[in-house]
Amino acid sequence: MVPWFRAARMRSLLMLLLSAVLTLGLAACSSNESSPDSPTDLCSPPGLGAAAAAPTNLGAGAAAGEDRYTTPNTTPLDQIDVNALGLITPGKVSVGTLSDAPPSICVNSAGQFTGYDNELLKAIAAKLGLQIEFAGTEFAGLLSQVANRRFDVGSSSITTTDERRKTVGFTNGYDFGYFSLVVPTGSPITGFGDLNASTRIGVVQGTVQDDFVVNTLKLDPVKFPDYNTAYANLKTGQIDAWVAPSQQAEGAIKPGDPTSIVQNTFSLNNFVGWAVNLDNQPLIDALNSGLDAVIADGTWARLYAEWVPRELPPGWKPGSKAAPTPELPDFAALAAERGEDAGPTQQAPKSTLAQLGDTFFNWELYRQAIPELVKTGLPNTIILALVSGVIGTLLGMALAVAGIARTRWLRWPARVYTDIFRGLPAVVIILLVGLGVGPLVRNLTGNNPYWLGAAALALLAAAYIGEIFRSGIQSVEPGQLEAARAIGFSYRESMRLVVVPQGVRRVLPALMNQFIALIKDSSLIYFLGLLATQRELFAVGRDLNAQTGNLSPLVAAGLFYLLLTIPLTHLVNYIDRRLRTGREDRTGTLDPLEQAIVVERG
Amino acid sequence: MAESVSLTGKDIHLAFGANKVLRGVNVHVDAGKATSVIGPSGSGKSTLLRALNRLHEPQQGDILVDGRSVLKDNPDKLRQRIGMVFQHFNLFPHKTVAQNIALGPRRMRGLSKDAAREVAVQQLERVGLAAKADARPGNLSGGQQQRVAIARALAMQPEIMFFDEATSALDPELVKGVLGLMADLAAGGMSMIVVTHEMGFARSVSDTVVFMDHGQVVETGPPAALFDDPHTERLQQFLSEVL
Repeated sequence: MVPWFRAARMRSLLMLLLSAVLTLGLAACSSNESSPDSPTDLCSPPGLGAAAAAPTNLGAGAAAGEDRYTTPNTTPLDQIDVNALGLITPGKVSVGTLSDAPPSICVNSAGQFTGYDNELLKAIAAKLGLQIEFAGTEFAGLLSQVANRRFDVGSSSITTTDERRKTVGFTNGYDFGYFSLVVPTGSPITGFGDLNASTRIGVVQGTVQDDFVVNTLKLDPVKFPDYNTAYANLKTGQIDAWVAPSQQAEGAIKPGDPTSIVQNTFSLNNFVGWAVNLDNQPLIDALNSGLDAVIADGTWARLYAEWVPRELPPGWKPGSKAAPTPELPDFAALAAERGEDAGPTQQAPKSTLAQLGDTFFNWELYRQAIPELVKTGLPNTIILALVSGVIGTLLGMALAVAGIARTRWLRWPARVYTDIFRGLPAVVIILLVGLGVGPLVRNLTGNNPYWLGAAALALLAAAYIGEIFRSGIQSVEPGQLEAARAIGFSYRESMRLVVVPQGVRRVLPALMNQFIALIKDSSLIYFLGLLATQRELFAVGRDLNAQTGNLSPLVAAGLFYLLLTIPLTHLVNYIDRRLRTGREDRTGTLDPLEQAIVVERG
Repeated sequence: MAESVSLTGKDIHLAFGANKVLRGVNVHVDAGKATSVIGPSGSGKSTLLRALNRLHEPQQGDILVDGRSVLKDNPDKLRQRIGMVFQHFNLFPHKTVAQNIALGPRRMRGLSKDAAREVAVQQLERVGLAAKADARPGNLSGGQQQRVAIARALAMQPEIMFFDEATSALDPELVKGVLGLMADLAAGGMSMIVVTHEMGFARSVSDTVVFMDHGQVVETGPPAALFDDPHTERLQQFLSEVL
């Protein structure tokens, strides 16, 4: 091989990576100067300093309706049989939660699922003498995962609605939700009444706010996968308004953000509860008993004051109707006091450029994100991509061989498989396999979707890899098969020894592209619900992003993806050249055709 | 070297869909002799070779080796006895020259890796290319590649050799070497059927010449008779075009 050729390529690669690192470094330094304050962990108790009165700008006609669902009383704790709760793993409550909605539900800087809802649930589990295990998932899938018994409990500040009660059962309320209307500062919109068909209203898909905007306001909202994305879109002006749960809205808006809450609304029937499988009344009863118990011993009041200190809305209290009214500090007074002290500490809004620089290039957050990305994200991404890549390659080879087989009984199934799996979006396959096949193979995988996710990725990859192999094999001149058969090899031996090896070599670059796609697609298995230690690069970046409300961790995760994928593309070019020219070539020359191919590849 | 055999194709029919390529072809080569098949393009010569070694199963007719029908034999086993050389060489580009030759002996004659390599080197010496054992086929000239292909066929110790226009894809100055090698094989007592456009070769080396047109044998006989005294108009016309 011509040495300068390789050297030049290596140099250009290094230059690319170096310049990427430099750009980030410079950006990070400059943003450091402009914002010396280290970012706060949104996923920690804000304490009484965050106390809030009931919103004065409560929408009219809100507190309508009578509470139909809260139970009159609960079973005493000592009469609960913890062995009859129908738990997936006896003695352990498996909880599906989200990582992106502080302070209610989130992952803290130690990588643990916490937040008000989850801390309260931990206290209840302790009262009941049960262990507890959290896994992160997507809100869009959470209720069906509870209904399918992927999780025992869904904990995600879920507002109870009649629609949702058809899918899952709910405990008594432990929190309540206002909807907040958030708009850019200075927007002409001052209340829900100002929203109309030409307003771009953001909501998180499948939430009560989504339902509220569609069914109550009769408007067509822009739907986002999570609160962070919705808020980021509001901040950058992609949407005109955001309808959010008030905790999420208050948690998201940081000092200096060019946004504000202009109105709130509330409904007594739509308190916040934990979702439990509809048929599992014993678990609902047990959690209700536990909730009343933590209200009675003051734990509820302590956690509530620590995490979500807000004045209770008129006519509502947590737990069953028989539960004692909790003793809470006078949040309204605290809020008023604080307001007098500091005044509305209206910081000057940052310039757009400073805002952007801080959002993407916060060096402090890179430092915080990188250890977690290396320790948790990187290994998981590599494991997922490798496992699904290897299985997908083997399966893909089988599909390719079946696809060109002489009997239609092999060709047809291969064709149908390929059409289906190539025709569906990756997310759909992952959800179908994870939620559809998961319950069937529970004995094999336990309640752990990690390997199911890898399997789904493998099935997906196999369809693409199969087509790549097939085209490679079919591109080998027919004379090669004929020559092998003329020597006396059987069809199978001829394919195995002569045709397939040549076909595979030709498609190595395409195959590596597929593997790169797999590295990226591995982020999608987060939809199935992962333990904190099972999160791959994107999930780690996204959780930190949710925790801090800053996009820098996602950019850091992106850099890790590039660190994986860029060397891979160059590696395959190198291998490709080696295979084409051969190691033992003593003549050192190529015929013109081969030379042309090599140059073209390079 | 294995004993050479005789081979007879009797009334061979073969059609691809509606296209009747072979329409009752009779062809014969005696043990240790050479038969050349000549005729215009598309007359079915190459297909005839592939029917005789059952790469394409004949739909009618019989194939006899040393007088015994081989249609019921395992076709892979039959092809191990018949060496074949192609117009475009069809060497395996992902393997070295020696690996190309050793592949068959190693996998089908059960030789060890070293023994198979030994066979490969011997055959390469026979075709004068021992120095190229570790080169890739892509780095050889066409003439060298075809000699490697012949060595690859010979390494299986065939009882008869088929040559399918073995020199048609070669530059003129390389043709001679390959033809010389084929003539040496014939002189050494190898049975062979040679599909060729080289009339000089057909005339000087073969014992029998078969003239085919439109999937049928039009005329057959010793070379002198065919070339000097063609009976049919079609052969006369063909010879006037190629000579």
